[in-house]
Amino acid sequence: MKVKQFSLILLTLVFVFGCSSNDKSEKPKIAVVVSTLNNPWFVMLAESAAKNAEKLGYEAKIFDSQNNPAVESDNFENLISSGYDAILLNPTDSDGSISNVLKAKTAGIPVFCMDREINADDAATSQILSDNYSGCVSIGIEFVKELKEKGNYVEILGLVGDNNTWARSGGFHSVVDKFPNLKMVAQQSGNFDRNKAMEVLETIMQANPDIDAVFCGNDAMAMGAFQALQSAGKAYKVKIFGFDGAGDVIEKIREKKIVATGMQFPVVMAQTAAQYADEYFKGRRIFPQRVPVEVELVNAANIKDY
Amino acid sequence: MNISLNHPLIKKSQSLIALFILCLFISLLSDKFMTSTNLWNVLRQISVNVCISVGMTLVVLMAGIDLSVGSILGLTAAICAGLLKNGLVFESMNLFVGFTVLGAILAAMLIGMALGLFNGWVITKFAIPPFVATLAMLTIARGLTMLYTEGIPISNLGPEFEFIGSGWILGIPVPVWISLIMVLIVVFLTNKTTFGRFIYAIGGNERAAFLSGISINKIKLTVYGIAGMMAAVGGVLVTSRLNSAQPNAGMSYELDSIAAVVIGGTSLSGGVGTVTGTVIGAVIIGVLNNGLVLLDVSPFWQQVVKGIVILLAVIIDKMNQKNK
Repeated sequence: MKVKQFSLILLTLVFVFGCSSNDKSEKPKIAVVVSTLNNPWFVMLAESAAKNAEKLGYEAKIFDSQNNPAVESDNFENLISSGYDAILLNPTDSDGSISNVLKAKTAGIPVFCMDREINADDAATSQILSDNYSGCVSIGIEFVKELKEKGNYVEILGLVGDNNTWARSGGFHSVVDKFPNLKMVAQQSGNFDRNKAMEVLETIMQANPDIDAVFCGNDAMAMGAFQALQSAGKAYKVKIFGFDGAGDVIEKIREKKIVATGMQFPVVMAQTAAQYADEYFKGRRIFPQRVPVEVELVNAANIKDY
Repeated sequence: MNISLNHPLIKKSQSLIALFILCLFISLLSDKFMTSTNLWNVLRQISVNVCISVGMTLVVLMAGIDLSVGSILGLTAAICAGLLKNGLVFESMNLFVGFTVLGAILAAMLIGMALGLFNGWVITKFAIPPFVATLAMLTIARGLTMLYTEGIPISNLGPEFEFIGSGWILGIPVPVWISLIMVLIVVFLTNKTTFGRFIYAIGGNERAAFLSGISINKIKLTVYGIAGMMAAVGGVLVTSRLNSAQPNAGMSYELDSIAAVVIGGTSLSGGVGTVTGTVIGAVIIGVLNNGLVLLDVSPFWQQVVKGIVILLAVIIDKMNQKNK
């Protein structure tokens, strides 16, 4: 009985005050919706987006889509109903996220995509993208050069259900596959995970003791590969390539233990997205649909710049 | 044929036979499988799952389940690395407490145990199904890990700590020693103590166990505490192996661990199963992972194959129960 009364009072309170707080506050609210917070790289992207939005004088909040377009969809519904004014989105999936973005568009909320692309030209207000494919084309060119066009190599893929995995692998192979003397002896998944990559490479080296290089779909896996090679005493002769530009890999490039990585610029992308949202609020309506943020190749030659 | 398959000795060692067939099959396809380096690799790689799974076995023997072990592993790994690297700082008291390797490991194990005890407390005190209680802990502990690490790995923990994951003692990798010790402790607990017999009794028939005067809640609490502590041991192993605590360490490890328990012949409805069976289950999973990569099977197929193996194990188990 008491519980019933209490909840009745609570409900009334919600109605009375809940409605009154619906008045728009002065500050526009910006939502940062990120594909996952279980990966340091995306945490950095999300946090710098939120920080930049706050710096420009907006209220900002981060939402985690847990790598799942359905969770992302829930996030969008909640955002639309709770009156957010702009969304900085790091999409979960290039096709699966389109309908979510369209939902926001219908509600009159501008969406700015960061890092990952959605396959639609009329949904997002603008897309500020890291070019994974061409980034890995550069890695591929460096790879061919370092190996002098011949040798056996291993590719460690990211999550096999992730579009970045295949964009990276595709860019890499678009170059490397043109050289018949570069032979891929194994292609396995390391799930973007350091431990998994290490274990997978340990096993691959049993089947293929004589490898010359390893290409990893991200830097966490490059670190795992390095550890596996180091404990096998082969780190000095197997060339490792990564992708992302993570701090520990940059250090390893400096020590000449990893050959190269593709440096992505999450901070630049986040900053641009927040900047665009700011300009949108100030009246700008025409934005370029796609703004590519180039991936820079980091190797021994230019490591001193990082 | 049917008669010989029903022989009690064969039934008892069916997972061992499955393992043998699997090894035979892989070594026929790849001559790299039966090498000492590769076999040590397999044992080292499964050591984390073995630690978690022996704890899980006790839980499942009581007809419970613990979905939080992967997250507890992640949290304790992060705390262990954090204490080792940064110590504890109490700014208000101007106090700094540094941790030795042993100190950090013990702290991680204690925290793992505390989280497990909390699971047990929620389950017994509020009569909440273990599935739900530990599912909640799965999210809580993962969230706490993210808070503690701010989503960024804690790395470079020093050579002493790294030795635990990568070192060798008497020709055997240290993680294998550690998992072996954990297995022996839990085997002793289940086979030689009243505590072990009570676990089987609770899993067999909780009501009967209660009526015969077993203090069920105490046993349950202890078992979940042990499961949490075992997860922490796994966390220490993963972290030292990588010389780095990853914020997403241990993600979905609970599934591998449940798989090991089930493949090892422990019944999810409780009361039936052994710790050694679970160890064999973990070895089967490890060998399977290893073999699929050695043969360079596509990652897509690997998931399908692993699922089929789990299914087969459970089906055989069910058929055996019917035959009884």
